[in-house]
Amino acid sequence: MDEQELIAGCLRGRREDFRMIVERYTAPAMALAMNILGNRDDAEDACQELFIQVYRHLESYDKDRSFKNWVYTILYRRCLDLLKRRRRSAELVKKMGRETVLATPANPGHPHPSRSLPSGVLEILKAKERTALCLWVNEGYTAPEIGEVLRCSASTARVYLFQARKKIKKHLEQDHVSLQNG
Amino acid sequence: MSLCKMVEFFYALIPWKPWRGLLIRLHVENCPRCQAGLASREAVGSLLVQERGVDIGRPLWAGVESALREDSGRERMRGRAVQPPAMRSWGWAVATAFLFVLIAGFLLLKDFRPERAASTAAVPARFELEYVLVGGQPANTVVYQPQGSDMIIVWAGKSP
Repeated sequence: MDEQELIAGCLRGRREDFRMIVERYTAPAMALAMNILGNRDDAEDACQELFIQVYRHLESYDKDRSFKNWVYTILYRRCLDLLKRRRRSAELVKKMGRETVLATPANPGHPHPSRSLPSGVLEILKAKERTALCLWVNEGYTAPEIGEVLRCSASTARVYLFQARKKIKKHLEQDHVSLQNG
Repeated sequence: MSLCKMVEFFYALIPWKPWRGLLIRLHVENCPRCQAGLASREAVGSLLVQERGVDIGRPLWAGVESALREDSGRERMRGRAVQPPAMRSWGWAVATAFLFVLIAGFLLLKDFRPERAASTAAVPARFELEYVLVGGQPANTVVYQPQGSDMIIVWAGKSP
């Protein structure tokens, strides 16, 4: 079924159409969220909130824009909110004198373990850079499309992507050198 | 080679994103040497979580659906709180009647006001003095009304 037909169905109150949209977008949204947030549990929360937001604000969706980009923009913002919340709670725990981990790895007891970003990569990249990189690799997005999701200019998106690729290259080279040195 | 170095220099020199974006678009994206200094799509892809690698553990739809159901329940409650159209028209009728009474009352009061003014203006015209006695004798009286005033001054003097 065509995406625009599904959206029109949702606007008429057809839940089944929205269910199809959710199923269609779950995997790509989860991949993006996991790459931004670094763990599955937070990614699942972000995606759930994303779909609720999409349903609530579907009327404000501009049909001239790409629906996928619109969905990714909402997801990106949800992820930024989660990161902010996580940072705040980490600071609070730090103040209380306890140890905390910024990026918790995927839950080992999870029935469906999934690989998350290596912590080194997560630490060296900013959220915007991770998003730009993920959209470039997973979706094949160009700088103007990345800019549309991040709500910035194509030039700025180009800079995020460039910096991210440069950092990753450096990181991989360092890993290679450390492996060679034993 | 020297051009790449120059681009790198100017990139580092001016930390302004539009400028940096321009340098990337004009040079880096088309230069094989600069591209070699960046991680390739394949190399990055091996580090990132990809769509086909995502294993949907918790079915998201269940959570989303329950949230949407709560939403529609809240909508229904809000719908109940809103008065039905019949009630709303009654409300309008009462408000209109109240407004009508207010306007009528105002006009009535306004209509009465000139009469009161007329009665005060008529006071000097109706002013009569039968006689004034001073020391048991009829007195000489002078009635004086200043111009443009409702005040009346009665002066009585002992008659010679």
